[in-house]
Amino acid sequence: MKRTIAILGLVLVAALGAACSSSAAAQPSAPTGPTSDGPTIVAKDMKFQTTTVEVKAGENLNLHFDNQDSAPHNVAIYTDSGASTPISVGQVVSSAKADQVVPALKPGTYFFRCDVHHDMTGTIVAK
Amino acid sequence: MSPRSSLRPLDVVIRIAIVGLILGTAYIHSTLGGLLFTLNALGYVVAAVAIAIPLGIAIRYRWFIRLGLMGYATTAIVAWAVQGPYYTTAYIAKAIEVTLIALLAIDFARMDGNPVTVIKSELGLLAAKLGRRPVTGQAGV
Repeated sequence: MKRTIAILGLVLVAALGAACSSSAAAQPSAPTGPTSDGPTIVAKDMKFQTTTVEVKAGENLNLHFDNQDSAPHNVAIYTDSGASTPISVGQVVSSAKADQVVPALKPGTYFFRCDVHHDMTGTIVAK
Repeated sequence: MSPRSSLRPLDVVIRIAIVGLILGTAYIHSTLGGLLFTLNALGYVVAAVAIAIPLGIAIRYRWFIRLGLMGYATTAIVAWAVQGPYYTTAYIAKAIEVTLIALLAIDFARMDGNPVTVIKSELGLLAAKLGRRPVTGQAGV
């Protein structure tokens, strides 16, 4: 029994350790320099109301997020839909607004999603 | 140590704590929205009923419910560790689940004894019910 508990404990510690390291690794560094006002993304009825957002390339953006659901959501921007390389991960909020500074994007198409509900997705086009 | 069905005062305290923790994580998951989290919350509610209900069949298979719930909570923790998201409410839910697993392990040890012995015994009973005899070492029998 002690052995079983020890194994179970090790699995849990490993899982929590992985979570902590993932959390630290997933946070992109904060952008520096001037920031321009960016678009607002609204979450309502468990989906993003705007799924394609155009932004200006080459300058930091202050992205506004308005979560009108009681369920928690955020806006997390990744290089592509594989969602393995984060560019900007916004705060998870419920029934609240949050701003996030997105580092200057090169011209191109980027993927964004809610990190809590992975089926809530959209595209950011930087021009 | 053989399984027992009578509850001592400490067993009752542990069981109440287990049900409270299950309902706590069920509530958190129910507030997250989406089908997956709602089903997860429902699964926890069913588990809370199964772990507490004084019904003959539930008492008889409580060992299985405990192990199943430990597996269920461990799966939820590992799935979260892999895909996140990592924010305060999630950490609270996972802390509850870790505590829940620990209490379930204690409850199992107090009520059922060694899990390997219990599983072997139950498999033996199942084999007997199915009309088979445990292997005796006689080849070709």
